[in-house]
Amino acid sequence: MILIGVDVGGTFTDLVVTNTESGDSQIHKIPTTPEDPSQGVIDGLQEVCDQFEINPADVRHILHGTTIATNAVLEYEGAKTGLITTAGYRDILHIGRHQRPQHYSIMQDIPWQNRPLVRRAQRLTVTERLIPPNGDVLIPLDEPAVRVAAQQLKRDGVDAIAVCFLFSYLNPAHEDRAREIIQSEYPNCFVTTSQSVSPQFREFERFTTAAMNAFIGPKVRTYVHELESTLAKQGFKQAELHVMGSNGGVATAKMVAEKPVLTLLSGPAAGVMGGGLSGQLVERSNVITFDVGGTSADIGLIVKNTYSEATARDTWIGGYPVMAPMIDIHTIGAGGGSIAYIDDGGAFRVGPASAGATPGPAAYGHGGDRPTVTDAHLVLGHLIEGKFLGGEMNLDLQAANTVIDRLASELGLDRPEAADGIMAIINANMANAIRSRTIQKGHDPREFSLVSFGGAGPLHGVDVARILDIPEVIIPPYPGITSAVGLLTTDLKYDAIRTEFQISDRVDTHRLARDFDRMQAELATQFEQDGLQQSDITYRRSGDLRYVGQGYELRVPFAASRVDTASLAHVFETFQSIHLAEYGHIFDDSPIEIVNIRLTGSGEMPKIELRSATASTDSPPLDHRPCFFRIEGTLQQLDTALYQRETLASKQQIDGPAIILQKDTTIVIPPGASAVTHPSNNLLIDTGV
Amino acid sequence: MKKDNMQVDHVTASVIQGALENIAVEMGYKLMRMSYSSIIRESEDFGAALVDSEGRGLAESAQSTPLQSGPIPGYVRGVLRILAERGETIQPGDVIMHNDAYAGASHGPDVGFIVPVFHEDALIAFATTTAHHLDIGALTPGSCGIVDAIDAYAEGLQFKAIKVYEQGQKVVPVWHLLRDNIRVSDLVVGDMEAQIAAARFGAEQLGELINRYGRTTFAAACDAVMNYAERLMRQAIAALPDGRYSATTYIDGYLDDPDPARRDLPLVVTINVEGDEMTVDLTGTTPQVSDRPINMPLEGTVDIAIWLTVRSVLLDTDTHGHIPVNDGLVRPIHIVAPKGCLANPVFPAPTIARFCPGNQLADTVMKALAEVAPQQVSAGIGNLRVIAFSGLQDSTHWVHMEIFEGSYGGRHGKDGMDAVDTLYANTRNNPIEDIESHLPLRVSRYELREDVCGAGEWRGGFGSVREFEYLSNGAAAVEGEGHHYAPWGFRGGNDGGVASLNLARVDGETLEMPSKVPHTALKTGDRFVCVGPAGGGYGDPFQRDPERVLTDVIDELISRQSAERDYGVAITKELVLDHSATATLRQAHSAK
Repeated sequence: MILIGVDVGGTFTDLVVTNTESGDSQIHKIPTTPEDPSQGVIDGLQEVCDQFEINPADVRHILHGTTIATNAVLEYEGAKTGLITTAGYRDILHIGRHQRPQHYSIMQDIPWQNRPLVRRAQRLTVTERLIPPNGDVLIPLDEPAVRVAAQQLKRDGVDAIAVCFLFSYLNPAHEDRAREIIQSEYPNCFVTTSQSVSPQFREFERFTTAAMNAFIGPKVRTYVHELESTLAKQGFKQAELHVMGSNGGVATAKMVAEKPVLTLLSGPAAGVMGGGLSGQLVERSNVITFDVGGTSADIGLIVKNTYSEATARDTWIGGYPVMAPMIDIHTIGAGGGSIAYIDDGGAFRVGPASAGATPGPAAYGHGGDRPTVTDAHLVLGHLIEGKFLGGEMNLDLQAANTVIDRLASELGLDRPEAADGIMAIINANMANAIRSRTIQKGHDPREFSLVSFGGAGPLHGVDVARILDIPEVIIPPYPGITSAVGLLTTDLKYDAIRTEFQISDRVDTHRLARDFDRMQAELATQFEQDGLQQSDITYRRSGDLRYVGQGYELRVPFAASRVDTASLAHVFETFQSIHLAEYGHIFDDSPIEIVNIRLTGSGEMPKIELRSATASTDSPPLDHRPCFFRIEGTLQQLDTALYQRETLASKQQIDGPAIILQKDTTIVIPPGASAVTHPSNNLLIDTGV
Repeated sequence: MKKDNMQVDHVTASVIQGALENIAVEMGYKLMRMSYSSIIRESEDFGAALVDSEGRGLAESAQSTPLQSGPIPGYVRGVLRILAERGETIQPGDVIMHNDAYAGASHGPDVGFIVPVFHEDALIAFATTTAHHLDIGALTPGSCGIVDAIDAYAEGLQFKAIKVYEQGQKVVPVWHLLRDNIRVSDLVVGDMEAQIAAARFGAEQLGELINRYGRTTFAAACDAVMNYAERLMRQAIAALPDGRYSATTYIDGYLDDPDPARRDLPLVVTINVEGDEMTVDLTGTTPQVSDRPINMPLEGTVDIAIWLTVRSVLLDTDTHGHIPVNDGLVRPIHIVAPKGCLANPVFPAPTIARFCPGNQLADTVMKALAEVAPQQVSAGIGNLRVIAFSGLQDSTHWVHMEIFEGSYGGRHGKDGMDAVDTLYANTRNNPIEDIESHLPLRVSRYELREDVCGAGEWRGGFGSVREFEYLSNGAAAVEGEGHHYAPWGFRGGNDGGVASLNLARVDGETLEMPSKVPHTALKTGDRFVCVGPAGGGYGDPFQRDPERVLTDVIDELISRQSAERDYGVAITKELVLDHSATATLRQAHSAK
């Protein structure tokens, strides 16, 4: 069976093709076509088929990572959207949590006020009201008013409508009925209800999620439909299109066309999955994924082979809160293009501003005139003039020297010291971010391996790991396209959630069991529609728990099928231990509240096969050159061996200082570290700590 | 470029600064997530900060509200003074509780827990958390709306540098005292435990940081980081022309009080800029109200209001990016407040309800700065309100405190922010779906307040209307401001709109309430209608782009009548701009 993963990034569209019978995998890269990303996808797929002699009709699955939804939000380029909400609450989307994003600013803009997903003129209200705890109807839905509102929004020219009623997560009847009425009045409109997108309490966040789904809906729906029909026209007759979701699984094209808000972290999620694959292949159950590109670094955490999901209160896109299931990914503004500067107060800073792809670092020779991390690497000898990106791109050492010299004179340092200072600061920033992700969750970074990838990750991996006393760095086989590889490791994955608000000393186990069963029936229907056999589906239960009175929940696994006093006792015990690990404290004898229950269904999909390293004899260094490294506080120039990654033999050991060149990245092995190629073609670096 | 200190290089200073901020953020993260009462976890009325052994602030948590983290160095200095007076020393394993508004604390309900950090037997620093507690044992339930406390003793328990752990051992009697004297003590004591856990976590992390770099390098880096912040502030002040800039605003005080000394009270600010320093002089501010708790602690409230405003205007993070918050930032700012004025009261004058006066003081500081930095300020802000909702069910109290938003005035090139917390407060509201699921309350309305706004070329933000209905018998206490004095317009902009509070009784009677209401019993079906203030306008409203006026009319934020009256913009019934009528209206206006 032939599978292709295609991940659209800011600069490149990456493709990986795998043949599950032969175990062959190939990679390919073409420039992204920002005007119409589907063009690059189609071109890339055709090139892959031509280059590797694949008949498009033999391709069974195309797995797609896309930024189409994310960019629509970040660039504020969505549909004209309407909202129908409960009378008396017209401005929930606008007032939000009445908090300013910045404490110390008069001139700031509030994203949801300054760039509203729905303008007030298109926020219409209808009389209805549900009340807790059971979603009873206090005021019935004024159906004629819904009809009038739908007609008005149609006249106003909206392309999408979000229906957002208070407490709809307890009882979907009013939202569902309103949707029916809108669809009968305005059949072409993209309609979304808040409870179908995110059936959880917290009205501002749920309404915003629904409004965002509506805002990006028409665009994503069109993109997906056009991509599907073009694929069919281009001969990919058997290929099923799946799109990567933020939750670490893929969804069908149809699902994504209805709930595009599920794909906002499509690319970064695929990166975590790709990094996770490397961990699995080298049999490490605890890994930190560290994906460093030109402008930012994405950090993910995999504990006991399981990646963690962000809590609903921590997920934001473009300044808007989004309550959709997402892998817990922390992004910081630190990458190869991060700019080093002396600020007004005289402090030495690196990032978060980045030279990006254009003009890029000074070394790119495209007019960049500010020193960046990449320039510093070149000055220190970690990057090599004629050997960047497999020799496809030339680097201008003179230009890098010039910009680093300017910074050095401001700092009163010499050139290598200034360049090494840039390294120390950017590495500390990265290490701080990783430290908070781990200790925040009660984990010790020393018990993890750091999977370092992206164009710049392998340059920094060992230095960052050493700051955190992490003993091992893993470099995946194709560090520059790990996200595309990640696409071929996923399962079809859907999430269901119910708000329960049940207290530990009086749990209605019958209701809990019933709700789990209902969620499972819903997901089973969905999988059935997607053509999966029940035997290919696994379900995982969990809950969001807190002590009664708290406002933040912790995710706790539930037993696979049973809901009874004994299994719940275990759930509550687990909650206590997670609470202790994460916060360093437990509240003895305090009742615990089951806020939400969750069900995740995974439908097995075919996966990538990675070929192992082939060379049988150790390959000698290509060359030697002087590079700067800091040893015991002193910056020294050392004779450093250069290797080519593709020619390394399985189990070949390389001691630092060494530089390993690869088509899409450069790997730095500092003195005291030592690398060996694992049979799976991952590089394992012992950091020496 | 100036070098701070030869003991530490730029790179190390930068790395240690990042690490300090990281620790403070993590402390705040843990406290917010662990805590029980919504005033901490939802409103984010808590603080977390690291302070050196001399009581100088090193870093604060980014999530917490400025009025909580900002005072922490003052808490530590207050504790150090009191312990020195008593001849006590601080030992490893101690945890010190403090809320003395006359020794650095912001006010009584904001209890600080202070954990010392030792390195090789020397006291190096403190990790501290503060939080607003639901109840502190005052005369009526809740810890806001205690507007009738006559002195510091009536406000609840006073903790003056009390050790709740001594060398790691829990001081059990203190905890009994807390449980026995505080309502909803399960929640409050739980939150205190959470504060201690978060502060201990911070202390542990800070200890590791000091171990990693050594004491000397650490101290040198802290100096460098503070000097850096100081330089930023000095540069910002030096950019202002030297001179004296003054402003006066008024607070309601007790509008229904027969004693005129308790209402319509002036706050006077004179800022004297000299080179790269400024003095903020509060001379002329109304005398203290000795038997009502609207007095503002000089250290913990007044200083924070001033620092917050100066830095938000001069070093606005939206234009300047991230600025480290530490002792250096406040060194170039001197504060003068005559003893016995509202901004420097004499013990035992009560202070528990200083929240709104303090924010009005922040607004007055901004008004004084407006003269010299007109493009960096907003017109007058709408002040806030807090209501303590409470009740008794089966001999157990329930208490819920909700902070009600104000709004910002118009700004240079931008309208004001609508329905947000203002200046020194930046809390969050509670979700309606959370309130109604857990309390006998219904939030029966939450919207923008239409057609009341400070007109201007850049108009003020809109306020909110929020209604709360009681689903069982209970009570309420209110502390608010701005029922009498509207947010000021600037550069020809109109004043904004005053706030109001109505109580619609279940029997049909509607009462207009003053901005401060002591504990009052309420019945099932009684409903508060809380109307928030609208910020002042910036610039001549007749210069406002008519298209923007039209947008506000289409959005049903203002009426066509207001568009014509306030802006000279004629809009037809079909919501189309009438250009010629607009020109006529505007000409007639400018002829006046």
